[in-house]
Amino acid sequence: MEVPSKTQPLFSIPVDSDHKATEFKPFDLSSPHMRAFHLAWFSLFSCFFSTFSIPPLLPIIRDDLNLSDTDVGNAGIASFAGSIFSRLAMGPACDLVGPRMASATLSLLTAPVVFSVAFISSPQAFILLRFLIGFSLANFVSSQFWMSSMFSSCVVGRANGVAAGWANVGSGLAQVVMPLLYTLIMRFNVQSSMAWRIAFIVPPIFQAATGLMVLAFGQDLPDGNYKHRRRTSKEPKQKVFDVLFNGLKNYRGWILGLTYGFCFGVELTTDNIIAEYFYDRFNVNMDMAGLIAATFGMANCVSRPTGGVVSDEMGKRFGIRGRLWSLWLVQTVAGLLCVLLGRVNSLWGSILVMCSFSLFVQAASGLTFGVVPFVSKRSLGVISGMTGSGGTVGAVVTQLLLFSGSNKFSTQTGISLMGLTMLLCTLPITLIYFPQWGGMFCGPSIEPDSINDDYYLLV
Amino acid sequence: MEFRGLFLPSLLLFSCLTATCYGMVTFSSLHRTLVVTASPTPGQVLKAGEDQITVTWSFNQTFQAGTDSTYKTVELKLCYPPISQVDRAWRKTVDDLKKDKTCQFKIVAKPYSSSDNSCTWTVERDIPSATYFVRAYAYNSDNVEVAYGQTTDSQKATNLFEVQAITGRHVSLDIASVCFSAFSILSLFGFFFMEKRKTRASQQK
Repeated sequence: MEVPSKTQPLFSIPVDSDHKATEFKPFDLSSPHMRAFHLAWFSLFSCFFSTFSIPPLLPIIRDDLNLSDTDVGNAGIASFAGSIFSRLAMGPACDLVGPRMASATLSLLTAPVVFSVAFISSPQAFILLRFLIGFSLANFVSSQFWMSSMFSSCVVGRANGVAAGWANVGSGLAQVVMPLLYTLIMRFNVQSSMAWRIAFIVPPIFQAATGLMVLAFGQDLPDGNYKHRRRTSKEPKQKVFDVLFNGLKNYRGWILGLTYGFCFGVELTTDNIIAEYFYDRFNVNMDMAGLIAATFGMANCVSRPTGGVVSDEMGKRFGIRGRLWSLWLVQTVAGLLCVLLGRVNSLWGSILVMCSFSLFVQAASGLTFGVVPFVSKRSLGVISGMTGSGGTVGAVVTQLLLFSGSNKFSTQTGISLMGLTMLLCTLPITLIYFPQWGGMFCGPSIEPDSINDDYYLLV
Repeated sequence: MEFRGLFLPSLLLFSCLTATCYGMVTFSSLHRTLVVTASPTPGQVLKAGEDQITVTWSFNQTFQAGTDSTYKTVELKLCYPPISQVDRAWRKTVDDLKKDKTCQFKIVAKPYSSSDNSCTWTVERDIPSATYFVRAYAYNSDNVEVAYGQTTDSQKATNLFEVQAITGRHVSLDIASVCFSAFSILSLFGFFFMEKRKTRASQQK
């Protein structure tokens, strides 16, 4: 009997049965997959740029607003705390309304917060502002969700890694661009206190523009937007609570949240403390210290994508086992390098160790999101949100415990201790086990071929 | 008496030599041989960019004559007392003058003369809001600090004045901010509205 074939939409990129791309071609804009990739990383880049646009201008802002060291520290922690809640909320939001709507809404609603920098004149307002701007980092979750919806499992690690890696460069670039903008504005004979406020008009314009681009040119899925997707009988209509609960009770999400807290979280903390560390310990000047800090952030351009590529290659050869083993190995090496960083006594030795450390810790972040798409299909957003949120929790915890003013030990001891906690908190990866694919030490317990569509409801 | 007369200058000379030997001059090694007065009364609030300070300085004659033979230039600076340094590590007082952050703003630099020195200075626009005092450093020909004087006591707690900075806020900036923010939010809702209309139109077909 002849079955009438559905007209297949033509994609300029090879796709699998779900129409997810099986190849990753970053310089091709014709397919919705690659358009989604560029929109995702670019809008996240603008959010990172906005969030990290304040630290480089702090020497001027702190005198202008009469901030104390406590205020500055609290504001730094507030900016990460804001993103903890928003990342958790972004997960279910993506599951329900789709990544395009969720990320554009966030970009366009947080841009006014950055515009409000023009109004602040007290320490409390400053702390509140950094808390609210931190919300925009939730776009990380939507970008990873979007990549996982558009790219097939053989390239999803790569897509996630490159998107997040290129976007993270925004934090490094802000350290270089904002002081330049400020100096440029001052050339027009504008007084310092007004010049820095004017400089803060630029990041939110960029952010709003990327939000609008996502709305205009993006789509949630290869075949169209969430609103228009056909629900087959195999995919019952999702309820908010079911999706949320299903994700929260999956232990793998919690473990990945913990390990991400000690690779990405450690990376965020290092971004915050590294310039001052080099300035104080090795007496380099402020510009050199800033350059070192920016280098650490900008290494993301290559190191995080490398993590994603390694995850995909290991996945191709060894399946999930390969992905888990490579994640554990890379993050453990990162932890060892972190311990070493606190112990090295020479400037160039420290720079060398710091560069190696940046490569491994950022690759570990990329490798983490090579595993996340496999944890749950139904609650992909919730799992992405839990993991992403765990990253910022890790940043807040390490900063509070090891690098706040009330510590009795030096920064270098703090760095070594941070490395030790990384080693400890990476061990739970050994506990992750997928019944159909296995874990680090055990093989699969059910036949992969026996997977049918009912399994969709199990995950 | 003669020994005492020789002692101070030789001590000063020796500390200069040690400084150039080790490259590090400490504040505690300097003697307070200059008398500095400034026009603001204790607790007076000066507006940045508008108000003026008149500073006068001279050599303290109670010290042995000849003590100031090495002084070549004098630099007057606006400095932070402890009250402005609380919980602000970037203004910290450190004995090593190369690392000391107490005095961050230069008022004037002039060649040294032992008396009749004065200068009127308009408080610069970029001076932040804080409490201040004025300190003068005397430099020798190697441009190394050799002595100082200040308007406050050794505890840096008396005779302090305040500066009120210019606010960077401006009506035009506020308006621009509001307009851009409104555009951002309105464009989001505009898109929602258009999408709803499209769905309704396609449903009606």
